[in-house]
Amino acid sequence: MPPIVELKDIIKVYPNGVVANKHVNFSVEQGEIHALVGENGAGKSTLMKILYGLEQPTGGKIILNGAPVDIQNPHHAIDLGIGMVHQNFMLVPSFTIAQNIVLGREPRRGQFINTEESIRITEQLSREYGLTVDPTARIEATPVGMRQRVEILKTLYRGANLLILDEPTAVLTPQETDDLFEAVRRLVDQGKTVIFITHKLVEVKEISDRVTVMRHGEVTGDAIYTRDISEEDIAQLMVGRKVLFRIEKPEQQRGQAAATINNLGYISETGRPLLRDVSFNVYAGEILGIAGVEGNGQTELAELLSGLKPPTTGEAFIGGQSVLGHGPRRIRQAGVAHIPEDRLTNGVSLPSSIAENLVVDRYYRSPYTRQGVMYPRQIREQAKALMQEFDIRAASYDSPMGALSGGNMQKVIVAREFSSEPVLLIAAQPTRGIDIGASEFVRRQLVEKRNEGKAVLLISADLAEVMSLADRIAVMYKGRIAGIFENGPHLTEEELGLYMLGLKTQPPAELEKML
Amino acid sequence: MTEKRKPFLLDLLRIVTVIIVALLLGFLITVMVSEEPVAAFESLLTGPFPKISMGEAGLQLKGINRFGNWLEDSITLILVGLAVAVVFRAQQFSLGAEGQIYIGALAAGIVSLFISAPLAIHIGLALIAAALAGFIWGWVPGVLKAYVNADEIVSTLMLNVIAIQIYRLLLTQWLRNPDAGYIATEFFPETAVLPIIIPGTRVTIALILTVAAIIGTWFLMMRTPLGYELRVVGDNLKFAEYGGVNTKRTIALSMAISGALAGLAGAHLSMGLLKQLTLNISLGIGFEGIVVALLARNDPKAVPLAGLFYGYLRTGAQIMERSSDVTREVVLIIQAIIIILITAERMLPLLQEWWKKRRHSPDELIAEAQEAADVV
Repeated sequence: MPPIVELKDIIKVYPNGVVANKHVNFSVEQGEIHALVGENGAGKSTLMKILYGLEQPTGGKIILNGAPVDIQNPHHAIDLGIGMVHQNFMLVPSFTIAQNIVLGREPRRGQFINTEESIRITEQLSREYGLTVDPTARIEATPVGMRQRVEILKTLYRGANLLILDEPTAVLTPQETDDLFEAVRRLVDQGKTVIFITHKLVEVKEISDRVTVMRHGEVTGDAIYTRDISEEDIAQLMVGRKVLFRIEKPEQQRGQAAATINNLGYISETGRPLLRDVSFNVYAGEILGIAGVEGNGQTELAELLSGLKPPTTGEAFIGGQSVLGHGPRRIRQAGVAHIPEDRLTNGVSLPSSIAENLVVDRYYRSPYTRQGVMYPRQIREQAKALMQEFDIRAASYDSPMGALSGGNMQKVIVAREFSSEPVLLIAAQPTRGIDIGASEFVRRQLVEKRNEGKAVLLISADLAEVMSLADRIAVMYKGRIAGIFENGPHLTEEELGLYMLGLKTQPPAELEKML
Repeated sequence: MTEKRKPFLLDLLRIVTVIIVALLLGFLITVMVSEEPVAAFESLLTGPFPKISMGEAGLQLKGINRFGNWLEDSITLILVGLAVAVVFRAQQFSLGAEGQIYIGALAAGIVSLFISAPLAIHIGLALIAAALAGFIWGWVPGVLKAYVNADEIVSTLMLNVIAIQIYRLLLTQWLRNPDAGYIATEFFPETAVLPIIIPGTRVTIALILTVAAIIGTWFLMMRTPLGYELRVVGDNLKFAEYGGVNTKRTIALSMAISGALAGLAGAHLSMGLLKQLTLNISLGIGFEGIVVALLARNDPKAVPLAGLFYGYLRTGAQIMERSSDVTREVVLIIQAIIIILITAERMLPLLQEWWKKRRHSPDELIAEAQEAADVV
């Protein structure tokens, strides 16, 4: 098979001096599923942006179907049959699915857009590629999985032969992921070629024919047949060292209840009860994992306990002190630290420097502020120390947060929250969307805090993560605690699954004992 | 250190290049409308500067009043520019400077006319009154925004109307000097007029006050917890909230502090330039402050430069209008084109890219970046 596209000796240096690609060679054959893997910041997104015309390479050339091309912008890429589905969808929320798919290339009747024809086109594409969508539904009313299918259909409508999927599973549930994989296989059966960007190795093994691994802007694994390589070996190529998939956890030293949550309830602005009668304790020296299908109140629980929202009913006591209803500062002062679920919204300020991001909870205290005057030197010194301790890779403490990779951003958040010497640490989806190395680091840090005798509340949609880290596991279903269990060999994923789906509920008396 | 200096140099290069392009474009327009474009454009470019000549009586300075006009105007622009920079930095789009100038001038006028005190104290009281009035006039829409989510663009524009009409009402009904041939108060007593520091001009101690305001604003923004709160709220409100910042208080204060600075600009206009209250005291300079703040990218350090530049352009434009056949309308068009070009955000990255590509081969760039990484 001749390669459909070849990237030869690609070099990309950004104006700020970051070298994203160093002499990268990458080639994809007609009709294959080619996985492109690497940690965040390895240069894989940059490489694909170059192929899609979003970035211009500093050096090197692109050969498409045997002829060198100079791809100036995404329009040009689309004309050449290259389509890209981004991590963040580029859809108009208030438009229908059909309108989104034909957007910019609408079928016309005279001067007007032909709506029936748009719907017909959408239905036909949908059938042809087995990507089920409802043409007349508005994007804002559709689930994430369907939005992604719309994005794929959009690129197909524009005549894409080569599809670039940028971390397509990052936003999907396991069920939706299965559907996506099926659709991708069908695309290939129909003669399309797919480049699949990811850092989940299970997926690489499951879906791809060949895999190219990148690290620090260079290719470390060059188009290897996926069946010939193990997950461990791919991980090693990505990270540059052996990766431990298991984390050692010493025997638990459980202490007093550090936090007591009593009958917490929350009713949303639209009147929907999202949390009901939630009660539990978190003990010093334990990790309490909260498991559950997403959208069963876990997000609200974290927001309430960190003060981002006031509870409708109930209370939380930290060290015997009632802390809710007065905003985040009171809670932080009582000793609660919070790794937020929505990292980019709450956890960091992208235009601010790393150093400024590291003091948002303590800038008003000594040594950063004394007698009303701030001391930038102290802020700087703390940033330098934390960047070293938590292995945050950035040009300088002065770099804007936005210049960091996802994994490094999360390390900044972890560094800030852990260094506040918390009594209770709330970690919401702490490893979501970050690379293997950084995930391993964050998990190990959580266990370390537990070993130091802190109370850790781990909220994660990744059941495997909860089961490998937690001492006790609470399952949430429809805003309630469906059960709390001691973690151990006797507890199986299947058993927890029954509680997660609402098929089983722990009897109140038993639940009481487990608080 | 070298890392920090490079972008600054590039910024300077950018501004200089853009100004040259903008001036060329302005000249082109002048050529089209003027009989003697060179002379006309020269008056725009060099008008505000005093001419030094060797006469019979030795060294002579001509046009010192024009030079004074430039500084007077720049003082107002810098104070209003600071006001806008503070509030824009917190991502609050207050357009209330105009009203705050009127309220500040009114408060300064009342204290000047109705209280008698020795020189320094009288001036001090009037200035405090102006700043306080502006503070309150900014705090009101700030509180409305923070606690009841009233859009600050609407509320500040409406408060401008209210401020200007209160000012006029009090002036015509109560403060007016009936003996004057036009609507104005009496001239302020000596003790309440800002002393002139450059003879032959109306440049008063407001100049020193402005320098203090620049330093004070910079210190507030960069060296106090409130300044940190303002910046974080501006960069990411949700993050500030998450970190425990009292964002409502911060929003209200950002608008109030901005108001105080605009109020001081009102004091400069009334106590320094006019020495009385007249019907139209500002003529929209509150909005020109937005241009200054944008030119300075809301950085208090850069506001004086931006204010002096814009003031120079305005004064030069006036002189051009007076001393050539180019009409006021065309002068304003040229001025506006220059501002558009300078505020064009994309100019910098384009220039940077071009500059880098010209100077280095790809491999040199990699080597350079790695060197920088090693240094870190």
